[in-house]
Amino acid sequence: MTPSLPPVIADWFASRGWAPRQHQLDVLGSYQSGASQLLIAPTGAGKTLAGFLPTLTDLVDGDFEGLHTLYISPLKALAVDVERNLSTPISEMRLPIRVEARTGDTPASKRARQRVKPPHVLLTTPEQLALLISHPQAELMFATLRRVVLDELHALVTSKRGDLLSLGLARLARLAPDMRITALSATVARPDLLRDWIAQPHPGRETDLLHMVGGAPPELSILETEERLPWAGHSAVYAHRELYETIKRHKTTLLFVNTRSQAELLFQGLWNINDEMLPIALHHGSLSVEQRRKVEAAMGSGKLKAVVCTSTLDLGIDWGDVDLVVQVGAPKGSSRMLQRIGRANHRLDEPSRALLVPSNRFEVLECEAAVEAVSEGHQDSEDPQPGGYDVLAQHVLGMACADAFLAEDLYAEVIRAWPYRDLSREKFDKVLDFVATGGYALRAYERYARLRQMEDGKWRISHPAVAQQYRLNIGTIIEEPMVRVRLVRARGQKSGRTTGPIGAGGRVLGEMEEYFFGTLAIGDTFMFGGEIVAFEGMKENEAFVSRAFAKDPKIPSYMGGKFPLSTYLAERVRRIMDSPDEWGAMPDQVADWLRLQRDLSVLPRRDSLLVETFPRGSTNFMVCYPFEGRLAHQTLGMLLTRRLERMRARPLGFVASEYALAVWGLGDLSGLIRTGRLSLDELFDEDMLGDDLESWLDESALMKRTFRNCAIIAGLIERRHPGKEKSGRQITMSSDIIYDVLYQHEPDHILIEATRRDAARGLLDIERLGHMLSRIRHHIVHKPLPQVSPLAVPILLDIGKEPVFGEARESAMADAAEELLREATGG
Amino acid sequence: MNSVAVQADPIPDTVLLRFAGHNFEPLPSGALFWRARETLLVADLHLEKMASFARRGQMLPPYDTAMTLTRLETDLRRTGAKRLIALGDSFHRPDSAGLLTPADRMRLDSMTDAVECIWLSGNHDPVPHAIGGTCLPELELEGLFLTHEPKKGQTGLVAGHLHPAARIAMDGRTTRKPCFVHDSRLLILPAYGSSTGALNILSQAFFGLFHWPALEVTMLGSDRAYPVPVKRLVGG
Repeated sequence: MTPSLPPVIADWFASRGWAPRQHQLDVLGSYQSGASQLLIAPTGAGKTLAGFLPTLTDLVDGDFEGLHTLYISPLKALAVDVERNLSTPISEMRLPIRVEARTGDTPASKRARQRVKPPHVLLTTPEQLALLISHPQAELMFATLRRVVLDELHALVTSKRGDLLSLGLARLARLAPDMRITALSATVARPDLLRDWIAQPHPGRETDLLHMVGGAPPELSILETEERLPWAGHSAVYAHRELYETIKRHKTTLLFVNTRSQAELLFQGLWNINDEMLPIALHHGSLSVEQRRKVEAAMGSGKLKAVVCTSTLDLGIDWGDVDLVVQVGAPKGSSRMLQRIGRANHRLDEPSRALLVPSNRFEVLECEAAVEAVSEGHQDSEDPQPGGYDVLAQHVLGMACADAFLAEDLYAEVIRAWPYRDLSREKFDKVLDFVATGGYALRAYERYARLRQMEDGKWRISHPAVAQQYRLNIGTIIEEPMVRVRLVRARGQKSGRTTGPIGAGGRVLGEMEEYFFGTLAIGDTFMFGGEIVAFEGMKENEAFVSRAFAKDPKIPSYMGGKFPLSTYLAERVRRIMDSPDEWGAMPDQVADWLRLQRDLSVLPRRDSLLVETFPRGSTNFMVCYPFEGRLAHQTLGMLLTRRLERMRARPLGFVASEYALAVWGLGDLSGLIRTGRLSLDELFDEDMLGDDLESWLDESALMKRTFRNCAIIAGLIERRHPGKEKSGRQITMSSDIIYDVLYQHEPDHILIEATRRDAARGLLDIERLGHMLSRIRHHIVHKPLPQVSPLAVPILLDIGKEPVFGEARESAMADAAEELLREATGG
Repeated sequence: MNSVAVQADPIPDTVLLRFAGHNFEPLPSGALFWRARETLLVADLHLEKMASFARRGQMLPPYDTAMTLTRLETDLRRTGAKRLIALGDSFHRPDSAGLLTPADRMRLDSMTDAVECIWLSGNHDPVPHAIGGTCLPELELEGLFLTHEPKKGQTGLVAGHLHPAARIAMDGRTTRKPCFVHDSRLLILPAYGSSTGALNILSQAFFGLFHWPALEVTMLGSDRAYPVPVKRLVGG
């Protein structure tokens, strides 16, 4: 359909010497035909205007009353930025349109006014939407709504924030049946799924899938280094000098890394050689908000030469001047890589340029795979998943706060949210029961019910305090409990290791996740705030550290990047490794390494699993190469050591990387396999995901962390609020206790089920492990070796650097008790 | 190390804790068994803790009381103790005893029928309740002074209240578990209830209570208790 553009808007384009772009007209045409639409376009590319052209068109004549368009983005900074960007054309065209942002920072009085007398265009976040629709006035506020614009939808749909948003949309579709959705997304693997996602609230409504065509393909290359490529590690120190030279040659460079500690290391490394005092800044999630805003402002005004950042800058405001994106360390996935590349150069006719910097030899393979995938335009972004029960519980309570409801009505509405389209009525009722009284088989809490069913069959909140409690606990983003890191004078260490006196009770360096300190021993060194510090101890909510002279931090605090290697890139890495003809494209050091592996052991094949066993010192090693990412490997390691224990192979510990898993122990693994006393097919049998997994889950710290998040989102545990005396530590502990009690007594409780589903895809990655085990079934290649193989060198180097798992932690107490005994007996 | 009795090599499965001239056996559950007097000592059961959260809208699982009772029944059966002394905070709230589920109430009643129960009062349950046995503010017994809150100055004081835990670091491994902690004058029991958290003995609340050079720490393992060297303790 040919869109009709009002003259005032057409004139405005003409007066600036522009013409509306095709994709902007496509969105307008689709909207005017009565459809919803999904626009797939790279970052920038005039997407904001594409999203709002229909609104401007509808509102030119100024006779519209009430809220017309609701814009929702994952970042409140984006909402504020869009407010600014929209006000320019609106004021230039003198349009009678009122635009306002609404975020957590908006004053309460303004937020209250927005509910009663909303602007024409309201810019906000999924959490604010949830708050708005939980209000009894929501019906009135949204009655006039015509449009919902969803920005960066690809970033929302794979998270629980997406679940919350989808439920909000289902409610909006009921409050405003004429409302149409315009969604904007980066390129994804399955655009059809995203289209279905926005179509679900309106069955029978057309939903168009629009692609922005054109744009130069990105240019992607791998750093060609003169230096020696390291076997292992994630620091990429070898490349600092070459990166510095690259930064000098460009106007503005964004350097992405995968974790905060890598960002610290790279930033420190660049400043060590920053002879020209180039303005290079650091941006990651542990820095204070003010510090980050300062960096963003400096970047926006073109004052910075480079920024070292983590995924905190994956999304956000566009900076026109970035002419190079550097990815240091593994790219993890091609879609992720493409989106990061999209942060450079938003002029469509020129290619975005990116440079990949592998930090070890395995990562060279991953970078090669990413370059291939990107040049073929292959996408491997995660698909949206079924919705979480915890988010649903939160929503059900919110809807009860808005108004009393009949269960069947709310159920019919909820399955209009794409992630919940297959939700059974039985599960819905379980969630409702959970919200009302906790959902326990032992009906102990009827008298304390939060929701009660009235005589008319409707569910109603039992007390206004329930609504207050709901509003305080809204949202799906859970902050890890953090501790303050304070610099103190070193104690109990050899002189010469520290830089000398620092005042006791010194300054606060920043904050860090509490669980990190749970793994440290006194004296361990790690990187924080750009310097190497030694752990001195903990007190209440503070960790004490002293300056250390150590050259390399002992503990890399790598803690695994948030994103595992994508299945697609893993597949490509396996293929590259299995295709010696393609090795020519790689640096000689890497090709030689693979040749050596072929000569001394065997290469891992595409469709099988290579398991090597070899002795080293007094221990025996088993190394396998599944390439399924660290999380799945950790879970595999936990389960394998349990089984090896049972098979009397006496395992001691294991370490997992993105590519491989190494288990070691006292038993002669090669011998056990040769004599048939240990069968690898049995060891790697899928049945490990049955009882072995079950018996591990009840004590797994990862499971407990997952449970804590579910319990907070579902409203079982109250969120921590500044000023309240309940510290993060107490929440963590009590959620562990709650998990223990619940898992033992009601393992099929809806929250345990929610936790399992999350863990299966999240911290335990059981799903991926399951796929791997079934793929390699009866395809295990065993290679006994007299010594370590070339391919096993990197993972063996990780021992002592990465967290090592192993026998029950009780061994620490047993050893300590033995030490005491020796002292007591003078031994 | 003056009072950890060492009997055999390697570590004996039954650990003995000597305090105020008596021998006690610290159990991995957190109870202290006084074999010579057939008495089981426990602290901080906090029964009905999760239910008290439910009253304020947080529907925590209503199973903690049953779990603690199971633990207690097992300890009583295994030790054959004839007497139970609870060192206060047995109930999470003063009115909790009246709000027990019928099943839990029945179990508690048959326990108080079978053994002599002495309930000392704590800050969570300061007034006597209607459960069988005797409710007392505190108790003196054979040179021991049993009470809820630890304090300095009294000799032979056995208390709870603080929920002590220890974290030790051994060759890069660290473990944090509830613990018994004592010197020559004061003994603090770990919290026994299944819903209780624990506080590191290096934190402020413990400052000044103990004579540090005489400190002894016994951590709870899954099947036994472990006396550990004080120099291995870390914060957090």
